[in-house]
Amino acid sequence: MSAVTTAAPPPAPERPLPAPTRESQPFWDGMREGRFMLQHCAQCSKVRHYPRPVCPHCFSMECTWKEAPLGGAIHAWTVCHHPFNFFFKASAPYIVALVDMDAGVRVNAQLKGVAEADLAIGRRVKLGFEPVDKEVTLPFFVAG
Amino acid sequence: MVHPLRDKAAVSGVGDTAYTRGTPTNALTLQFEASLAAIADAGIDPRDIDGVIPYFPGGAIAEDFIANLGLRDLALSAFIPMGGATTVAAIQMAAMAVATGVCKHVLISVGRTGYSGARVSTRLQQFPVFAQAAEFEAPIGMFAPAQLYAQGARRHMELYGTTPRHFAEVAVTTRQHAILNGNVVMNKPLTVEEHQASRMIADPFRLFDCSLESDGGAAVIVSASDRARDLKKPLVTIMGAAEGHPDSPASIAQRSDILEFGLVKSAPRAFAMAGVGPKDIDVAQIYDCFTFTVIRQLEILGFCKTGEGGPFVMDGRIGLGGELPINTHGGLLSQGHVVGLNHVIELTRQLRGEAGRAQVKDAEVGLVTGYGDMGDGSIAILRRAA
Repeated sequence: MSAVTTAAPPPAPERPLPAPTRESQPFWDGMREGRFMLQHCAQCSKVRHYPRPVCPHCFSMECTWKEAPLGGAIHAWTVCHHPFNFFFKASAPYIVALVDMDAGVRVNAQLKGVAEADLAIGRRVKLGFEPVDKEVTLPFFVAG
Repeated sequence: MVHPLRDKAAVSGVGDTAYTRGTPTNALTLQFEASLAAIADAGIDPRDIDGVIPYFPGGAIAEDFIANLGLRDLALSAFIPMGGATTVAAIQMAAMAVATGVCKHVLISVGRTGYSGARVSTRLQQFPVFAQAAEFEAPIGMFAPAQLYAQGARRHMELYGTTPRHFAEVAVTTRQHAILNGNVVMNKPLTVEEHQASRMIADPFRLFDCSLESDGGAAVIVSASDRARDLKKPLVTIMGAAEGHPDSPASIAQRSDILEFGLVKSAPRAFAMAGVGPKDIDVAQIYDCFTFTVIRQLEILGFCKTGEGGPFVMDGRIGLGGELPINTHGGLLSQGHVVGLNHVIELTRQLRGEAGRAQVKDAEVGLVTGYGDMGDGSIAILRRAA
């Protein structure tokens, strides 16, 4: 009796997703709501990103969260060709722009709708929100 | 004032395995094969080891050394969580341990199956320092070192006019050195054209800008200089050693200057401890996870100014017979990736006059760097004792 191959096709690779921490949960909650939320020191009011428990300027452990503007300027970029995670194989090559946000922190996210030849330090971009599932929304950039 | 650690410790033994892509054995076995070779090179009894600083995660831990080498009284067991900066940072820690008398002989070792075992993106998930990148950058398609470091390379190109041709020079020169060494993964010549035609990994890094995923083991023994003087091999002392951590150490993205490496902090300390400067260096082994990483470190070390690293590597300057021969063993780009401990081994062999066809004539003082995680930087300056 010949063997019948019933092996299921391999599952589609899963997108790596953030595992929010106590410190970062408000950032991800904001993303889900379409708002770019940043952590500020409650004592000296300086902004900090990525989120963490202590202000490195005045050592206060109290913080507040404020909505930040979505604009920024390109600081650097890379174009990812080799998919180190197979999830990204279908979308490669893709541009990841490191952006100086007007709020005073940086964000690394994929830049969409801009040709590689048009990339330049200082080019204005704007942050957008891409829902991935009901919990997670990720940032991306478009020309600003 | 002479730094109290200057020349008080020595690299007394070095050993490595074959560097391959594909191995029938595992990281633990490779690590012990290299460790026993280093112990034999020093001419000591394995049971004389009383300090261990193994690369972690992956490979042997202190308990393995006690069990396998029959260590009677291990006085120091430490991990240094600095990725590729670990093995050279371990030189500083080992030097402190033997100079103070806490230990007699400290064994620094690596066993790695980067080709046959888990690949880089998988391995990095074990690293606490990659937690922020895992949360904020992996989901948008950015996690591997090639990707994380590529943005700095691109910015350097945009600001200073550094070009892929400069990158190619590092790759091609390193390959030439590898061929002279022989115990290497990449033993065929590489041309500039082949480098420039190799597939893009993370722009501006092409395949031949990236270090190897390979299998191998490497080990180094650090002993007090007074003790090492009576051992088998010529005395090579540690003039200076330091580790450095950049600002925003777990996130390059949030660092005010993404081209600042920890080496900015550690290099001045190591040069001051050693009492020498860049002009005194006869040969250098520069951590070469990527071609650009070499160019930027040469700037930070003071061999040239910031922005001039690209032109600096041209015209044979970094090749044998040049002004500053670097990575005379083939480096991580062409010999093998054992987290840079092969760089320490090669520097020691150069200063002993054991570097074979790649020997730098009259090499007396040399330096070695480590670079890892999100830009940690370590450095050691060694010299052949008079």
